[in-house]
Amino acid sequence: MTDWTIQSLAREITARKISPVEATQACLERIARLDGRLHAFITVDADGALAAARALETELAAGRSRGPLHGVPLAYKDLCHVPGLPTSCGTKTREYFTSPVECTAAARLRDAGAVTLGKLNMTELAMGPFGDNAHHGDVHNPWRPGHCSGGSSSGSAAAVAAGFALATLGSDTGGSIRLPAACCGVVGLKPTYGRVSRAGAMPLSWSMDHLGPLARTVSDAALILEVVAGHDPHDATSSRRGVPYYQRLLDGPIAGLRVGVPENYYFDEIDPEMAAAVRAAADVLGGLGALVAPVRVPDPRTLSDIGNVIGRSESAALHTRLARERPHELQPAVRARLEIGFHISAHDYLQALRLRSRLAREFIAEVFAEVDALVVPVIPEPAPALEAVKAGSVDEFVARMGRFSRLTRPFNTLGLPALAVPCGFSSDGRPLALQIVGRAFDEATTLRLGHAYQRATTWHLEGPRL
Amino acid sequence: MMTEKEDRVSADVAGLGAAVERVAADLAIAEEPAGFAQALEGEASPDQRRD
Repeated sequence: MTDWTIQSLAREITARKISPVEATQACLERIARLDGRLHAFITVDADGALAAARALETELAAGRSRGPLHGVPLAYKDLCHVPGLPTSCGTKTREYFTSPVECTAAARLRDAGAVTLGKLNMTELAMGPFGDNAHHGDVHNPWRPGHCSGGSSSGSAAAVAAGFALATLGSDTGGSIRLPAACCGVVGLKPTYGRVSRAGAMPLSWSMDHLGPLARTVSDAALILEVVAGHDPHDATSSRRGVPYYQRLLDGPIAGLRVGVPENYYFDEIDPEMAAAVRAAADVLGGLGALVAPVRVPDPRTLSDIGNVIGRSESAALHTRLARERPHELQPAVRARLEIGFHISAHDYLQALRLRSRLAREFIAEVFAEVDALVVPVIPEPAPALEAVKAGSVDEFVARMGRFSRLTRPFNTLGLPALAVPCGFSSDGRPLALQIVGRAFDEATTLRLGHAYQRATTWHLEGPRL
Repeated sequence: MMTEKEDRVSADVAGLGAAVERVAADLAIAEEPAGFAQALEGEASPDQRRD
């Protein structure tokens, strides 16, 4: 079952070679056997999943199919409010987040026939790129136990890589979908800001939060996006723009698409194997007819700083009660990062919001006049050892967090779609990944490039030995 | 007397404030936060719409 993709499983379910109950049981058995080592799940809802699978099986027997997700087992980051299940958000509090509405993205997947296996581990309050969690256990990288899964959607990536779920939902405020996807060798998409409703998901920063899919293949990620994207009356920031049939557009030609490889910032101080793999991936796209060329991009450090001012201010406002009333419950690094937000002035916060408008407009005008997409690394090095990243003082730990997420944060400030795709392995077997960044609301082109890359390579067909 | 923690927070906040100051000097009065969503919406891919 570790070879399953949503598409291959859907074909087998349609052909009655496997039933939704059998698929769900296979996932639950694998979770029971292996998750004690990985800690990908916080809550496994075996009874609920099997009940849903049985109901979906009855529908199929009656000749009714909901489509390609009918009977497909999925799981959601533990900041998505799913009725009947607790939402800890990675904190010590079992039910930290409650919402008057269920998570729209998860509800749309359920309505499309997906089976909910449970809720996935994450960095506390979604604040951290490594996947460590003192309350629910550090999420281990399925490729290399003892190494980071990446975060904050740590369980979301590990669960896909380990074959626990066919796809998952994660959230991304500074890289939290793409970083774990890169560490764990799976696909992760941060859509355009406003493309996917955030309703029913714990906010960390309402200006910077995005929900999106993690999956084995770009094609599966496209399918999930197609279901979860689109306006939602429960989220005023969700766009009213129409949703393309992303999957149908995947096989379009990439010949002639202009792909820029930044010559500033993104390859500075990058692990040599990572840099070489990303450049090789750009060459693969070039071999398929894309016009690959170097490009200079506006200073990403400014974008990160502006994003930090906004993100820290909003996260402190949102999580004031926990930070002020029960600070001892928070991990020291999370507490330290939250604390900064309490001291940023209203003036700086508002200036940062105004600057973001200008910086986004300038970036879009300058960069996308020259290229249709950018190719950059996701992480500066393959998944590091958990003990190494946690060693030393809180200050050192927090500084490592900033360095590890420095390649993803600028695109949260810009709100642009960004796709993490596996592109090889280091000499000691840890996954390497590229990031494809596209125009606003042009996930279709971003996904098309990623899909073309996966059709030309076999990295995504590899799986960890567990 | 500030503690080490307070020193660190002050330094981080000052660093972020300086970053804002550096790029905000010539920010137009007309620039509003809502310009961000407009920048994204204005950058639509014109094709491939479903509805």
